[in-house]
Amino acid sequence: MTVSVSLNGAEQRRPSRFGRMLEDRLPYLIVAPAILILLLVGLFPLIYSLIVSFQRITMTENDTSFVGLLNYAELFRDTRLWASLGHTAIITAIALPLELLVGFLMAQLFIDGMPGRQIFVALLVLPTVISPIVAGATWRLMFDVRFGPIGQILSFFAGEPVRILWTVNPAYVYPAIIICEVWQWAPFMFLLLLAALSNVDQSQLEAAEIDGASYLRVLRAIVLPAIAPVIAVACLIRGLDLVRIFDIIWALTEGGPGSMTETVSLYTYVQGFSQFETSYTAAISFLVIALLTLITTLVLKRMELTR
Amino acid sequence: MADVKLSGVHKYYGNVHAVRGVDLSIADGEFAVLVGPSGCGKSTLLRTIAGLEDPDDGTITIGGAVVNDLRPRERNIAMVFQNYALYPYLTVNENIAFGLRARKTPEIEIRKRVGEAAEMLGIGNLLQRYPRQLSGGQRQRVAIGRAIVRKADLFLFDEPLSNLDAQLRDEMRSEIKRLHHEITTTMIYVTHDQVEAMTLADRIVLLRDGKIEQQGAPLELFEQPRTGFVAGFLGSPSINLIPATLKTSGTAAEAVFKSGGSLTLPPAKAALLSGAEERQVLVGIRPQHFSRAGGGGPLREGVVSYSATADLIQPTGTRTFTTIKIGGVDAVAELQAHDVTNHGERIELAIDLNRVVLIDPASGLVIA
Amino acid sequence: MRIGRLPAKKARILAVRYLGAGIVILLFLFPVYWLFMISFKTPDEIYHVPPLWIPEQIQFSNYYVLFKDGDVLAILNSLIVAGVSSGIAIVLGTLCAYSLARYGTGGENLAMWIISQRMIPPIAVVFPIFLIYVHFGLVDGYFGLILLYTAFNLPYVIWMMRGYIVDVPLELEESALVDGLNRWEVIWKVVFPMVRPGLMATSVFTFVFAWNDFLFALVLTRTEVITFPVMLTHYFGGQSNFWAKIAAMSVLGTLPIFVAVSVMQRYLVRGISLGAVKG
Repeated sequence: MTVSVSLNGAEQRRPSRFGRMLEDRLPYLIVAPAILILLLVGLFPLIYSLIVSFQRITMTENDTSFVGLLNYAELFRDTRLWASLGHTAIITAIALPLELLVGFLMAQLFIDGMPGRQIFVALLVLPTVISPIVAGATWRLMFDVRFGPIGQILSFFAGEPVRILWTVNPAYVYPAIIICEVWQWAPFMFLLLLAALSNVDQSQLEAAEIDGASYLRVLRAIVLPAIAPVIAVACLIRGLDLVRIFDIIWALTEGGPGSMTETVSLYTYVQGFSQFETSYTAAISFLVIALLTLITTLVLKRMELTR
Repeated sequence: MADVKLSGVHKYYGNVHAVRGVDLSIADGEFAVLVGPSGCGKSTLLRTIAGLEDPDDGTITIGGAVVNDLRPRERNIAMVFQNYALYPYLTVNENIAFGLRARKTPEIEIRKRVGEAAEMLGIGNLLQRYPRQLSGGQRQRVAIGRAIVRKADLFLFDEPLSNLDAQLRDEMRSEIKRLHHEITTTMIYVTHDQVEAMTLADRIVLLRDGKIEQQGAPLELFEQPRTGFVAGFLGSPSINLIPATLKTSGTAAEAVFKSGGSLTLPPAKAALLSGAEERQVLVGIRPQHFSRAGGGGPLREGVVSYSATADLIQPTGTRTFTTIKIGGVDAVAELQAHDVTNHGERIELAIDLNRVVLIDPASGLVIA
Repeated sequence: MRIGRLPAKKARILAVRYLGAGIVILLFLFPVYWLFMISFKTPDEIYHVPPLWIPEQIQFSNYYVLFKDGDVLAILNSLIVAGVSSGIAIVLGTLCAYSLARYGTGGENLAMWIISQRMIPPIAVVFPIFLIYVHFGLVDGYFGLILLYTAFNLPYVIWMMRGYIVDVPLELEESALVDGLNRWEVIWKVVFPMVRPGLMATSVFTFVFAWNDFLFALVLTRTEVITFPVMLTHYFGGQSNFWAKIAAMSVLGTLPIFVAVSVMQRYLVRGISLGAVKG
């Protein structure tokens, strides 16, 4: 591609015309492969799905005629769908603030340096990076009514045998999911908040201390405003994850008992892969995308405002 | 070795017209300094010569060949950047050799040239270190070394000393000057610091708003500025500009201040001012042209006496800068260290008006 | 004397904080310990009532079974799929990120579109993808999963690497251009070495994402290329879970992640916060 010629006694490199062309087009050449894959695997299925959602394809019928908004109208009559959205909302509404709170408390505990902090932090990261399926499986072992340690510990404190069917009993199945969720993701919040807290302007804190401000006042006036953007991003990331929660529930309850803990992702999966309601599943997908887009836009708007 | 010619060079950044028609010719072996306030287009011009920016109009010639369509690497130039641009993951040795390796120079030759350059810059003992282990001055030497080994036709410097502290800057400045004497390659140097420009340049090219305001030898620009901007930009402390009205009668002329008082201009200047009666001007007097009037003997031609109060005294050790009032405005006079010691002291000054510049406030041009 | 009391007070606060740290560590690591321990227990010990907190002896038969039955192939599959897809995503994503960062290709719109790809819930695309894959015969093969995980990870890589590349001083690249490199060489010899820490951290995360994915793998694998999380769910079955296998498989499947993340601990925060916090 390049040849060396001697000019003025100095080495000089002149590319061929083809080399020049490649160099001039570099910005586009290097963007193309990534964009192509994204279009192929990201956008193409969406468009395909959009078309299908206006048709009437099921396991038994391959009716490709367009039926307009029929599938979307169906969404509003589907009580199981709205129940699953409700389940998702409950889990998100409880787990997200809990994760944030526990993560914040953990960060407060570790914010001041202490010998061995690095190791503690490294260990606490573990729950967050393991596969949610492993997390769910682990807690299934923990919760087991006969062979799990949770019952044993509770019995010890209660002074009498405690037998709770965590993943079966309707009263305990949500706490079980949320415990597992918080266990896995509070460390995520912890990591982000720890980093954010260490970035808080130290001189402001010292000035407040000299002024004799109380802990709560410092927290409200200095610390929280400083870490607010990070909290917002953390909540956005986690919120989006929670709305599409699937793995942990699959491993822990499989949506049961009945469909009591069936989230919208699980329901979509069932419609698509057990009932093979192709067109209807596509409609649900777009409802989910619409909801997520709405939430994300609202959150981002709020973030813009507070900035 | 090469000369550099620019003709009609324009450069836009979106709506910003950064370089507005620059014609410039730099001789082989010359040390040219592009100087001007920030945003004057000096860096853009240098980057255009380097090929890092494409001019929107005009031609650039290096060593007789038009280089507009050549890539930076094809122009056989070497460039030293403001922040040194050393590769943190390479040793000093590898950093200096980087350009040679890129050009597939034989290893033996590389070793020889790196050795020579390191010797010349006194960094032979640092070759195995990484940039982060070096001080600012050492990094700058490495950056210069990387340029030297290339044996390029043209050296470009983009504000290379602006990140160094004052003392190191003085040291590196003389180092660069010495370097130019030794290798005599054409050099183009960009700075916003007029002291650097004055001390280094064979020729200063003073830019303002994307155009050349004036170019020439340093002392030429200093002593015969063509505009008030040039007069004000060069010299430290900068020139005093005092608004006044001209009164001429025959071959004599004087500058009368609004607040009262006047300065009689020397005949040589007055001769240039015939017909300039009642004209508004800015009288430019350099701080260096003040001195303490002593002895009471007769004053040289063109020197006038002036009596003033020392409002503010700033001793530097060798000289003392004294703020006084002339024609109702603050002016700085550079006096001997012990000429004045007390604030509010009344002092008799002699002002050498032979080098005074008279500026038309409307056009900014020097009229005499 | 206030000053004289301070060290004692400080020591007490430190002691309290260590106690708190100990409790937190215990709470969060106990489940992991439990998993580990079960993986070393014999069936009798696993199904002992009340549960045993320490196995009588460490024995590896649970792991041995996984190797003997070939279940560990799932781990191998995961390694191949996650490894290859993160490799491709890293190379293509970084190149794309370079173009976005340095040439502003596509403007802010393209950048936003790319990150919005990340926000799309997998459940919304998995079904159409499944149908398309069935049509092209990509189900239950390496290629299909690798393609999918590459696409899934690209927005993340582009977003992260764009952040790292913007931090590289432009002067370094310009200096190299003047010194004799062409633009391709500049990417290879200047940009890549400069963003190496970012590359390493980002690769770890892309690997973890692909490794941990369950939904896509569940839908797109059958019998040939089963990945580790799917294999794990095969052991679930009503009340008679194969706990020994679950525990041993979980440990095996977590080790690579644990090693990778431990090595990259420094860059963790920036990686998981999508660069919102510069670590």
